[in-house]
Amino acid sequence: MRSTVEARYKAVASFRARLFTAIMIIVATLTALGLYLAQRKVTADAEGNLQQIFQNELSSLHRLEELRHGALADRCNALAAKPRIHAAIEDNAIDLLYPSAKDELRDLMESEEPPPQQPTQWLHAKFYRFLDTKGAVIKPLNPYDVGGLDANTEAQLALNKLPDTQQVGYIRENAQTGGGAIDEVIAVPIFSTETGDLISALVIGFKPLELEDKHTGMKSGIWANGRLHLPALPTSAQTSLNEMVTGALANSDKDQNYFRVDLGGASQLLFYKRLNPGSLFPPAYEICIYPLSYSLAELHRLRWQIGGAGALLLLGGFVASHLVALRFSAPVKKLALDSEEARAQRQRAEAALASTAEELARSTRYSADASHQLKSPVTVLRVGLESLLEREGFKPEVYEELSNLLHQTHRLTGVIEDLLLLSRMDAGHLQIACTPVNLSQLVDEWLEDLGALRDSPDVKIEKEFPRDLFVAGEKRYTSLIVQNLLENARKYNRPGGRICVSANGNGRDIVLTIGNNGCTIPPGENIFERFHHSSTPSVASGHGIGLNLARELARLHGGDLRLVRSENDWTEFEVRFPAADGVKAVA
Amino acid sequence: MRLRGLLWFYAICLMLPDPLFGSSAVEGRVELPKSHSAPVQAKRYEIVTKGGVLSTQPPLAVVYVDGAFPRTGSLPAKQVAQKDLTFVPALLPIQVGTKVEFPNLDDTYHNIFSYSPAKRFDLGRYRPEERPIPTEVFDKPGLVTLRCDIHEHMRGLVLVLNTPYFVMTDTEGHFRLAGLPAGHYTLKAWIDSRTTREKPVDLKNGQTLHVDFP
Repeated sequence: MRSTVEARYKAVASFRARLFTAIMIIVATLTALGLYLAQRKVTADAEGNLQQIFQNELSSLHRLEELRHGALADRCNALAAKPRIHAAIEDNAIDLLYPSAKDELRDLMESEEPPPQQPTQWLHAKFYRFLDTKGAVIKPLNPYDVGGLDANTEAQLALNKLPDTQQVGYIRENAQTGGGAIDEVIAVPIFSTETGDLISALVIGFKPLELEDKHTGMKSGIWANGRLHLPALPTSAQTSLNEMVTGALANSDKDQNYFRVDLGGASQLLFYKRLNPGSLFPPAYEICIYPLSYSLAELHRLRWQIGGAGALLLLGGFVASHLVALRFSAPVKKLALDSEEARAQRQRAEAALASTAEELARSTRYSADASHQLKSPVTVLRVGLESLLEREGFKPEVYEELSNLLHQTHRLTGVIEDLLLLSRMDAGHLQIACTPVNLSQLVDEWLEDLGALRDSPDVKIEKEFPRDLFVAGEKRYTSLIVQNLLENARKYNRPGGRICVSANGNGRDIVLTIGNNGCTIPPGENIFERFHHSSTPSVASGHGIGLNLARELARLHGGDLRLVRSENDWTEFEVRFPAADGVKAVA
Repeated sequence: MRLRGLLWFYAICLMLPDPLFGSSAVEGRVELPKSHSAPVQAKRYEIVTKGGVLSTQPPLAVVYVDGAFPRTGSLPAKQVAQKDLTFVPALLPIQVGTKVEFPNLDDTYHNIFSYSPAKRFDLGRYRPEERPIPTEVFDKPGLVTLRCDIHEHMRGLVLVLNTPYFVMTDTEGHFRLAGLPAGHYTLKAWIDSRTTREKPVDLKNGQTLHVDFP
């Protein structure tokens, strides 16, 4: 027993360990998944943020540029509408074009002195040129009035055709010599006020807006005509970056994109965006480089935070799963112990049951054997007594004594037969062959017999039942039931009492009620118990198996026997038989 | 008395150059382009541009006898006024050497100028009460486009001709040129800045020729 309990304890411990492991695996998996997702989200967010920053910077720059473009366009359109410029073009006085424009555009041009740092400076042009109807540059007679440009730079202003909308382009001054600034040019169409035809275009060059965010370290420049202009970077870095940008632009047809570059050992994010989509001028791109050191540090910090949170989560999971495993294994442990106890009890009960059954079988066998063993000597005794009675020459008292003895042997035979029947029933050997039995007739016959008995007290018999009530049963046993009950009613009656027998059927059952006067049965006394003896002393007494046998037989037939009442000098039994399905066969 | 009058007449005629004695005339009709717009109120002619071609609206033509004629003495001055932000008249035919005055009849400044090859000039800004009235002498034949630097929509035309024999048609295109010298000439009809029709004519004294420009 002790070893089993120990084994149980071990099993519970193993269950707890397995439960704990399973919960830990789930917690660890979930944590790992969470960490992975958080990590991915953080990385994506960082990239998104970076792009957002870039977009914001760029859009603020573009807002400025749009503002400037708007202001410039308004001015350019106003200038292009000047009658003298129109007159010079429309009336074929090209020689007067630039002199006229010089007067009209005087305030547009930058002054010789470095301009003060104020927004109006944006609106000052570095140079301007007119294009003829083929898009070629109309050469000014005196280039210094309109902003000097070398031939190569001037050639970049020409377009394949005159634009009918405002165009933005970027050209590189002194491209030949390698250095030189990038200029932003705006081409404004000039329409004839007379015909509405496109007659010329005014191309005005400005210094581009430059963006450098001191806060984020973002640097911006312009890529145009295959060259990068990012003055914030040293020349060598510009050269290497230029190759990368040129390569990237050649391989992609996107208007904007971003990729990582390695510049002087530092990782940087490079964004580019087309500055003049759809323009007749060659494509130019805004190039922004953003040092990743800030965002990498931020990412690093976030990763550490996530890692720490994961470790904490795992620790929490460890504790929680430990507690959960304990909590869950407690009832299992109790269950295991309880079941062990229950098992022991069951084993004991089973053992007891087995021995009881064995004893019962033995006793059944014994009573059967005993009955059989008793039957033969009783028969011998009875035959002896009968032969003695037939002899002559004995005194009359002797005959009377012999007759009494013979009567006792008959009773003994009855008891033995009853016992034999009971033991057969107990052993389950009794088979009943059901046939319709005429209960009315049976009761009548027994009542007659009752009256004929010698020692019958002076009782009055009342009967109330219809004729030909048929019950389903074996006649012998049905008769035995009725005999037992009627004999009891006579035996326990008082002198001058009465016996009342009634029967009726309800279609399915037939109920026979037998009542008699006489001393009552105290409540709580189990009169149906085998070998029962009344607690109250009585003149009449049986051997204590009659009622038991009657009830067993009634139940064997599918009916029952019960005590209806026993009070006020009246005791009434009720036996129920199954009706013989309406069969009116003759018994 | 009657004789003296005749003598005076003869003497005056003798003093005048020969061709002036010409008494031939040309009359006819120029087929003018259809006017698409509604009749202009106040009978004011404006210059319109269609496909780069300047013409008057409603359409008018100038008919003149082309050829080299000796200059007569001083020519009377003509006027192109600015009134209600338009040139009045919108089209002015003149002989070479004519002085044209540009009086400002509006309440605002005007700045009349021309970049035309036939005559480049710039009168600068001037007020209505500006005296003397700004003038310009046109000494080269050709078409001169008048513009105002302040009012960019204003257009006027001055047709500078070699000949003293010219006339503007009426709106129906009818014209009559009288007092022409006899001889072989080319009669031209200026219809717009791009279209000038011409026909050779033989003018004889005392004869009225009928010429139509289809």
